[in-house]
Amino acid sequence: MIRINNRFLSVLGAAAVSALLAAPPAQAKELRIMSWQGYADDDWVKEFEEKTGADVEVVFIASDDEIWAKMMGSEGKDFDIFAVNSAQLQRYIDAGLTTPIDLAAIPNQQATLPRFSNLTKVQGITRDGKVHAIPFAFDASGGLIYDKDKVQPTPTSMSILWDPKYQGKVLAYDNGEYNFSFTALVMGFPDPFNLSPEQYEQIKAKLIALKSNVLTFYTNMDDGTQIYQNNDVALIWANFGRLQVKAMEAAGANIGYIIPSEGALAWLDTWALTSGVKEKELAEQWINFLLDKKISAQMSERTGYGNTVTETDVANPDDKLIYVEPVENPTLRSDLWNEIKAAP
Amino acid sequence: MQGGSGLSGRREGADGRRWRALQQALIVATVYGLPVIFVLVPLLTFLVYSFFWVEGGAMHYSLSLQNYLRFFAGEAFFRVFWQTILLCLGVAAMATLVAYPVAYFLTGIKGRMKSTLVMLILVPLLMSYIIKIYALRSILGANGLLNQLLMGLGLIDTPSSFFVFNLNAVMLTQLALLIPFAVLPILLSLERIPRNLLEASTDLGAGGGQTFLWVILPMSLPGVVAAATFVFVLAIGDFLTPQMVGGQAGFTFGRIVYSQFGIAFNWPFGAALSVILMGVIVIAIVVGARYGSSRRGTA
Repeated sequence: MIRINNRFLSVLGAAAVSALLAAPPAQAKELRIMSWQGYADDDWVKEFEEKTGADVEVVFIASDDEIWAKMMGSEGKDFDIFAVNSAQLQRYIDAGLTTPIDLAAIPNQQATLPRFSNLTKVQGITRDGKVHAIPFAFDASGGLIYDKDKVQPTPTSMSILWDPKYQGKVLAYDNGEYNFSFTALVMGFPDPFNLSPEQYEQIKAKLIALKSNVLTFYTNMDDGTQIYQNNDVALIWANFGRLQVKAMEAAGANIGYIIPSEGALAWLDTWALTSGVKEKELAEQWINFLLDKKISAQMSERTGYGNTVTETDVANPDDKLIYVEPVENPTLRSDLWNEIKAAP
Repeated sequence: MQGGSGLSGRREGADGRRWRALQQALIVATVYGLPVIFVLVPLLTFLVYSFFWVEGGAMHYSLSLQNYLRFFAGEAFFRVFWQTILLCLGVAAMATLVAYPVAYFLTGIKGRMKSTLVMLILVPLLMSYIIKIYALRSILGANGLLNQLLMGLGLIDTPSSFFVFNLNAVMLTQLALLIPFAVLPILLSLERIPRNLLEASTDLGAGGGQTFLWVILPMSLPGVVAAATFVFVLAIGDFLTPQMVGGQAGFTFGRIVYSQFGIAFNWPFGAALSVILMGVIVIAIVVGARYGSSRRGTA
């Protein structure tokens, strides 16, 4: 197995590997994977290599932009398969950088959890009747953390953030895009990622109203935990989901976590085949291998994310998760968010 | 030309002269080139970017004034801009007021004691900026040290939210962070006052208070102006302190600039706002320098 982290080295590496492969007549098949950390661990790769007799090359990426740059740069030819967020996936399909997946080659997909087994019901995965990606990992990124001593009974909706009882005790997250989306859910708008001008006006007024309840806007997990420890905080819009709950509990907080009834914003990571896939069968075997109960459960154990095969504490089966989609106008949302923050 | 023949140029005079001339040219190019490449070019790039514009997430590389018009027409941004300037003027004034007695006290101390004390004032500058803000925030928080102290002394009954997540917090935190920058210029200007002038003042019958008011204070004013300018410039460029301790009310101009480079991806507007901010800073420095130097001229 070859493992390369650096982009420059990966180009050199790919060149070296192809030069080597050209030499011997009987060559092993090679699967080229681009993955997030945690989705292609060493022990799984080794097991897969033993099972299939193939060589696996994994390149880890650190950002959505890096995947896009690598895929655009090689027109999809440098990799067979890549891990990608469902919201990001859309632009790859638009650019013709994916290859539809043959579900018959992935028998384990039939055994996934009911909300993932029918792929037409998963937002953004299929297009024109063809499957472009298989869901692998997810997490709710917009649940509600509440202080058990200060908030009773257990809240059920994000609308509690506007309750005057909690004036100055609400910790909100500093991200205009998400704040517009979750407020749209609270207000019952059908599509939080595509809002009309009237809906924008209503949400803006609602968020300005939220400010009087907000102590401050936090920017990252540690920031939120530290503010909680030093101040009187009752409610937190939890951008980091279960991970944030774990971090705060480790810091001694007595807190609960809910997925609100109107739905929580969430993300979904998937596996997709590139347009330049050379070993399509092998790539589909890789997905099938990862959708094995044991491997998927291990992924959840190691990362804290939900998987699509076994139930985890990330979300209950009937929790409403709204997978984040690209919003219609990020610049507008960011401008409006500034105006909201600048409002007296 | 090979390096060897150049170095052994002593044998051939013309060659050696050419080599020295080349060296000279290299040094001059470096001295003028580095600031041009690393200071002037980036600044000019910023200036040019501020005239580009963004629509629908795409950058348009044609010149337009719309970023500047947007700033001056947008009521919200303009108000935050003034509020930020007032805040930073406040920080500069208070930092100078606190720093002056400290510097004055330091001039009265001699030898190793003095250098130790000056070192102690400078030590916080060695620490990471963000760690200091974190530390200050936990001191100012509702359950923080300051509130516990005030409650322990019986001055307040319940934790006060006066000190954190508002403009007071931004001011207090920036003060704590920037006071060292105010102490140094004042200390320097106080030390430059010749001893014999003070003796002359005493000889002519002035008391301690009179000497301070009519000799020391006027002669140290350039340092005071430099200190205030320093603090103002550092405070107005700061976006982290307001972000971390300002809460929902502590929104400043620096944060608006910062927000244009993330999700908004509106570099041209961010560049235009930076150019405006730089204008304020240049004005502050020019005013500070002119006042400082005219004083020195009369002294």
